Amino acid sequence: MSDARPILEIKDLSVARDGRAEIDRFSLTLNAGETVILLGEAGSGKDAVLRLLDGLVDRADEVAGTLRVGESEARPVAPRMRVPLRVAYLPGAAQRPLDPLVGAASQLARVIARRLSCPKGAAREELRGALARFVGAPSVEILDAPAGALDTVTVAWGLLAAAVASTPELVLCDHPFADMSPVAANALSKALVEEQARLGFAMLCAAREPQAVARLKARTIVLRQGRVVEEGEAAHLMATETHAYTQSLFRALPRPVAKPSRTVRGEPLLQVQGLVLSPEPRKTPRQRDMMGFELRRGASLALLGETGSGRHTLLRAVLGLERRPGRILFDAVDLNLLSEAMTLRLRRRVAFVTSNDAALDPRMTIWDTVDEPLRAHLKLSRELTAGYRDTALKRVGLASYEGRRTVATLPPFDKRRLQVARAIVAAPLMVVIDEPLRGLDAVAQTTMRDLLAEFRVESQAAFVVITSDFAVAEALCDEVMVFDKGRMVERGAVTSLAQAPKDAVTKALVEAACLV
Amino acid sequence: MLTPELTRLRRILAAAGWSGLGLIAIAVMLADFLARAPLGAAHTGPVLAAPSEAFPFGTDLLGRDMFSETLYGLSTTVAQAGEAAVLALLAGGLLGFVCAHLPRPAGNVLRWAIGAFAAIPALLLALAMVALTARGYAGLAAGLAAAPLAFVRAFDRARAAGRLGHAEYARATGISASALLNRDLAYEFRDTLLPTLARALAAVAIILSTMSFLGFGALPPHRDLGLMIAAARTSYLEAWWTVAFPALALMLLILLARLAAGLDEGERP
Amino acid sequence: MWRFALKEGGKWVLALFGALLIAAALSALADPGPYLAAFGNRLMAFLSLDPGRSTISGLPAARELAMHGPATADVVLLGALMALMLGLPLGLLLGTGGMRRATAPVIQIVSAAPVFCACLALAYAAFHLFGIRPDTASRVTTLFLPTVAVGLAGTAAVQMALRRAASLAQDSPFRLGLRRLGLTAMEIERVYVAPQIFAGLLESLGEVMLTLLSAAVVAEWVFQSHGIAELFVKSVALHDWSMAAPILLVFAALTCTAEFLGRVGSRVLMRAAS
Repeated sequence: MSDARPILEIKDLSVARDGRAEIDRFSLTLNAGETVILLGEAGSGKDAVLRLLDGLVDRADEVAGTLRVGESEARPVAPRMRVPLRVAYLPGAAQRPLDPLVGAASQLARVIARRLSCPKGAAREELRGALARFVGAPSVEILDAPAGALDTVTVAWGLLAAAVASTPELVLCDHPFADMSPVAANALSKALVEEQARLGFAMLCAAREPQAVARLKARTIVLRQGRVVEEGEAAHLMATETHAYTQSLFRALPRPVAKPSRTVRGEPLLQVQGLVLSPEPRKTPRQRDMMGFELRRGASLALLGETGSGRHTLLRAVLGLERRPGRILFDAVDLNLLSEAMTLRLRRRVAFVTSNDAALDPRMTIWDTVDEPLRAHLKLSRELTAGYRDTALKRVGLASYEGRRTVATLPPFDKRRLQVARAIVAAPLMVVIDEPLRGLDAVAQTTMRDLLAEFRVESQAAFVVITSDFAVAEALCDEVMVFDKGRMVERGAVTSLAQAPKDAVTKALVEAACLV
Repeated sequence: MLTPELTRLRRILAAAGWSGLGLIAIAVMLADFLARAPLGAAHTGPVLAAPSEAFPFGTDLLGRDMFSETLYGLSTTVAQAGEAAVLALLAGGLLGFVCAHLPRPAGNVLRWAIGAFAAIPALLLALAMVALTARGYAGLAAGLAAAPLAFVRAFDRARAAGRLGHAEYARATGISASALLNRDLAYEFRDTLLPTLARALAAVAIILSTMSFLGFGALPPHRDLGLMIAAARTSYLEAWWTVAFPALALMLLILLARLAAGLDEGERP
Repeated sequence: MWRFALKEGGKWVLALFGALLIAAALSALADPGPYLAAFGNRLMAFLSLDPGRSTISGLPAARELAMHGPATADVVLLGALMALMLGLPLGLLLGTGGMRRATAPVIQIVSAAPVFCACLALAYAAFHLFGIRPDTASRVTTLFLPTVAVGLAGTAAVQMALRRAASLAQDSPFRLGLRRLGLTAMEIERVYVAPQIFAGLLESLGEVMLTLLSAAVVAEWVFQSHGIAELFVKSVALHDWSMAAPILLVFAALTCTAEFLGRVGSRVLMRAAS
């Protein structure tokens, strides 16, 4: 808890690189045990503040301002300046801060050993002790695997344990739980806050999404292009009487919406009977392992669950990419009876929008990416496809781009919108949307959510949304199927699940999404 | 990562490389006008005369003007290496891309078969091929000898790209293998066509001139640079210019081809 | 690890078999009978470790290989040693950090010299500096000069492989990540980046071997060192396919083996680093 004893005071900090101001006249007072969140989009200047405190401001950067630590005199800031505090850095696992080819535990132990000036063996024990304090954290032995082979949540637990194991006075959190499922982000945030209460360290947290503010409920400074827009407590900023820019950021937070229940009466597009998702199907599968459902044209279904819960296995099975026991009818055709070439033809009526930016060929141009489905499937000429292409690009807000620009040069949000444009042009029977908001800034999340909701209303296609965030399911779907450990555990209308979830897994997923 | 400065530097060097190759091509086309003596004309000056105003590159054992002979040698090397580079590009790079999109077992068998040739030094392969046919086919042999390595590289590259997310997603939305091959040809092959050609030119220029040096390449009277250097082995200890100028011309050709390929450090030295 | 070694071992055996087929196909040209029968006979002979008999000298090819092999082995092994001793420091010095980009054009210029040009330059320098004529048979001309020529070619290959590996490691996000987590730049380079660079070199061992063997062919020819590389050129010139084929097989086997050892070594190194 904060004891109102300032451990850090930054005054009029300015950092400029190549003549461009990264942050301009920024001031901050941080008390011991207090948390301050720096909220802003990419390029808002959060990183410059963290770099300064981490002693990694480049010598080529121009810096100005003063820094005061504890009771000492204020000193002018300088590049590569060492802050006389025990500072721990907690990066997001999605930033891949560890060597992917080397064991994660070994790297983390080396980091702790360096901070505590102790042998690596002792540091490993510190890591083990820290991990043991967290509920749901992996063991050191699991972290012995190469970092590249571990999932982001496991690495995030390791990074958190390494940060607190060195008993820091200040923790610099660099988007620590971004791009994770709400359940995992909640568990990690809770563990971090508990450790803060135990050890009394101060925390400066850079975040690009308001979900972090809602989870940590701390004083927040909203930054935009290097300048402070607004500063206040989380509850105040989450209310509506704030600066317009702050409001635009906080619109990304899921809010309960009263949605009329919609009944779709179209023809069945997908009929699944007796499908088994477990990794090694038995010869005579148990009834509880078998699943069946129906998706009608124009309907929307969310496959909700954590990573590895079986959602992607189901998707691969219904697309005919993986043969599994059971009967799958896509557009009234049994996939198990079709050849590979015929399932390929059927899949032409499927479109994808995913958080995996590698889903688009980085070498292709914007134009070619959007109209490829028409050219490849319908053999239409470029002249004929141009009209469809331009309309789709206009709808997603990418019409201003030079069409010959390659996908590799686009920022992540624009790549995501380009996927939507490609889906619009393909006129699919089914649109698969996989974690559509992951990895996006707050404003981009809101835009993307609205864009997909609009696409859904205007399209005749069935929507299948794969997500670990109940809020996304709520915004885009009418019906939800909840998965856990390769099985479907609950199914129902999104509104009824939101109000009365039956299964414990569903409850956890719904609660994790309720941030407001 | 390709920073903008590095990309710019690469472009400048590649432009310098292509400009240099263009100048060489012009010099080669105008060889008959630029040369001071006809091809192979002996006794145009004193025997083994050092470089001077009259003979800027000196003369050789038969009193041939080394400037003219180097120019003719360069034109033979350039012509043969050009053909061989195109062959290596088509039989190697293009074929590699195409085979990577064949059904997996067929592609793997081809990769293994051609990979076995890639384990043999290209020079030895080229020597064996010339000996099996005739010396007139040196360019063909050099091109075919350089092809396995180009094939393996293109194949592995296309297969690696096929394992990437975008290819997986393309297949999941019904994009066929032929459409994916179109992507590779339209983007990867097109974008890497000129650098690959330039790299192949450098590689086959080395193979061809070494073959000629060992006596398996160009046939007199059409001497290429390798053959000229081989012929000067009896005189170069006393008359350095008989080897130095053809060698410099050859190195210039290789260097410009490498620069034209960009600052790619992937090719075999 | 064992699974990986077995998989690589399988690839190695397949590659050796491919080389064996090529050698048998070449060797069958020496037989006057029907080609396919000759091919089958030669393949069986190779499999029973009988490489046949040279049509020119009449001696068993195995004996010729044993006679000429040591000279080539000396040149290639000493050249490889020199390549490592020169190439490693040069590659690390010029291939890492800011020096990599600055030296890239210079490296292109230096490595543009074909091996035979380098051989002639060496011979010229030996004659004018030490008065040694390249056509006189001595240890200097048959061992030292070819070794230096092969070593220089190998040096270029080693430092090129190091540069390539360094350029890949340079772009890894973990360098900044670990730095911000509190490790020193030197520690990151030593513990994490250096093994990756050396692993990259090991991955390129097959290519380095190809370069050494190609250079050995030219160096032995120029300096009249009577090794199997020179024997190959002579055999090919005289259409002695029953002699050329086993030499080709030896060279291909060396390259495949270097490639296999390099891949496994690279994996072992990365395991040791973790």
